[in-house]
Amino acid sequence: MENGSGILEQLQARFGEDTFKPQTTQDEILTLWMPHDKIKDVLAFLKTEIPQPFPLLYDLTATDERTRKHENGHAPFAFTIIYHLLSFERNCFIRLKVGFRDEFPTVQSISSLWANANWYEREVYDMFGIRFEGHPHLSRILMPRTWVGHPLRKEHPARATEMGPFALYDDKVDLEQAALQFKPEEWGLARQSEDSDFMFLNIGPQHPGTHGVLRIILQLDGEDIVDAIPDIGFHHRGQEKMAERQSWHTYLPYTDRVDYLGGVMNNLAYLMAVEKLAGIQVPERVKVIRVMLCELFRIASHLVWYGTFAQDVGQLSPVFYMFTDRERIFDIVEAITGGRMHPNWFRIGGVAQDLPKGWEKLVQTFIDYFPKRLKEYDNMVLKNSLFKARTKGIGIFTKEEAIEWGVTGPNLRACGFDWDFRKKQPYSGYELFDFDIPTAANGDCYDRALVRVAEMRQSLRIVEQCLKNMPEGPYKADHPLTTPPIKKNTMHDIETLITHFLGVSWGPVMPAGEAMSCIEATKGANGYYVTSDGNTSPYRLRIRTPSFPHMQMLPYITKGYTVADLLSILGAMDYVLADIDR
Amino acid sequence: MKWWLSKPEDPARATSGTSSYEETIQQSVMLSSMQDLLAWGRRNSMWPFHFGLSCCFVEMATSMTPKYDVARFGAEVIRGTPREADVMIIAGTVFIKMAPIIKRLHEQMMEPRWVISMGSCANSGGMFDIYSVVQGVDKFLPVDVYVPGCPPRPDAFMEGLILLAESVGKEKRPLSWTIGEQGVIRPEKIDVKERRQEARSKMTEFRSPDEV
Repeated sequence: MENGSGILEQLQARFGEDTFKPQTTQDEILTLWMPHDKIKDVLAFLKTEIPQPFPLLYDLTATDERTRKHENGHAPFAFTIIYHLLSFERNCFIRLKVGFRDEFPTVQSISSLWANANWYEREVYDMFGIRFEGHPHLSRILMPRTWVGHPLRKEHPARATEMGPFALYDDKVDLEQAALQFKPEEWGLARQSEDSDFMFLNIGPQHPGTHGVLRIILQLDGEDIVDAIPDIGFHHRGQEKMAERQSWHTYLPYTDRVDYLGGVMNNLAYLMAVEKLAGIQVPERVKVIRVMLCELFRIASHLVWYGTFAQDVGQLSPVFYMFTDRERIFDIVEAITGGRMHPNWFRIGGVAQDLPKGWEKLVQTFIDYFPKRLKEYDNMVLKNSLFKARTKGIGIFTKEEAIEWGVTGPNLRACGFDWDFRKKQPYSGYELFDFDIPTAANGDCYDRALVRVAEMRQSLRIVEQCLKNMPEGPYKADHPLTTPPIKKNTMHDIETLITHFLGVSWGPVMPAGEAMSCIEATKGANGYYVTSDGNTSPYRLRIRTPSFPHMQMLPYITKGYTVADLLSILGAMDYVLADIDR
Repeated sequence: MKWWLSKPEDPARATSGTSSYEETIQQSVMLSSMQDLLAWGRRNSMWPFHFGLSCCFVEMATSMTPKYDVARFGAEVIRGTPREADVMIIAGTVFIKMAPIIKRLHEQMMEPRWVISMGSCANSGGMFDIYSVVQGVDKFLPVDVYVPGCPPRPDAFMEGLILLAESVGKEKRPLSWTIGEQGVIRPEKIDVKERRQEARSKMTEFRSPDEV
């Protein structure tokens, strides 16, 4: 990428010629291996000192390299830590890798550099057993505290059925419940201040206001929140480990269930990475079909958020209106894909089938119908004085704070920063569409609502353009790695028949390498970072979800507000638990 | 028991019948056994526990909205506390980290209580045969109805609810701990697949997916 030029030279000038070893990747993101004693210095340099810096820690993860067959041109490491940074000014990513030869390495923590590194490092510790030196609270984050082993290490079993039958004796219930007991001292929270005793209030994991299995412990002074500790992992489905045993094709339905309100949008994020690996260029029609369905799902997801948010702050009826409209979107989705929430309809190199006859009328009906409804909802919700009272001036954060905590999507745009990956780094043909990026100025709960409502109007504009300009052509790329494989030549000669048979039964073999995607999902930046070892399934697949850093910011933005405000803040954040815990 | 409904715009007493003495008594006196009356009450007001685990919960919540309207079957009164709820719907994946909590919540529900396992994950682990997921909620909870699907459509969930209601209407429970035989007599579980086998095998013509 041309925006990334000069970075390597600047880094070499500062840290020495031999410090960095570049690696070529399929996604053309500048990838550098660096020595582990310079992690903090290099990252600090990139964050603050370099001209046009990289202020956002986009992702931090690790890979267990021990069972690799193809080396990537470097001495064999046991584990690799991977940092992804984003520069807004340069509009580009940088990927930094650090390799370790120990079985249980220790790494310098960067939690003092970036606020959002804290949870990412805890996740790496939980999943790989890699320790971080200087981390303020290195403990398990996704798995139960009683868990033995680190799931993403290659020696950890993947299947539940490999781990013996599950039994839940009373003793075990007591043991697990005792492990969930909250001890304020562990988190460095005081039990009292000079003039009052604090109360610790446990909310969740079963609570109507948490939108799923999320647990939050509040440190309260009267009704004021002194601190909050979110406890996540109750929804951890091992999506990343799952990828290591599914074929490239059969992993698709799992992606649907990551952000389960986003439907096919998740397919797209995964496919953008896989298609980069395979070098597939999809036809124009595929791009437009994908964009249309994604935008319909964006509206559907925002509708669920709209209704439940209004309900969170006490309006009980809007949710009934909005779910009814969501059903209208599902009518279209069902006619086109046959599914509702998890259509699993995109394929590597295309979509599952062509659009059915008569889809235009369905979409047109919705385009005619929906704007009137949005207007009605403005009157019902956004103009409601009680709704305003509950959301205006609540949960404020600035653009700088948002970037520090890794916030993306509508939550970032509500701070007045018009960063949208559909515009800034267009994918799947978004550069051809005419739409605006709604922003707001104050960065409070009300503004987050305004941005999402405005986004629904923009999404509708995009859907309309898809309807009017749907190109003709094939619904799948003509490429040997697409799934299911193309059949047109199979009955002519034995070679293509064999290839087709293997492509159907084992699935395609992706060339060794790595690629990352980043799309503007319903809740923010969603990316899949896939590593192939030249096999029928990914060697490692990392899902960067927007909700994870958003939830991490909760303690920071709830301090000083009341318990009732917490529910406004949670509602305005728009997260789903599957998107946090994966 | 025999009754009929009259419409508000109809003139009074325009209901069918002869208004005879016999009929009037029939309309105003109800004879039933205490046990049946209670079972009838139970089956027509099943209050679900406000409890969801993952994707399925969204479909369960959708069933409460106007297009599906689960209130038609007396199950729209979502209870925030297990102590007031009759039926717990395990809507979603049963995570190992969540299992002890689910068990405790179930224990907190008052008898009579029922469990619907909604969706493939809760039924058997479904597609998530993975280290953090319990392979079916029936590993540690008694399940009354299994609803298949990933996630089941709201209609499917409601069908499961009706199946459970039918079974609850036929249950025999002791009136108190001192009266009659103790223990619950449940009707035999129905295999819906088997019941529909005949009708389904007759389905030979299907609409093409190429048309809306």
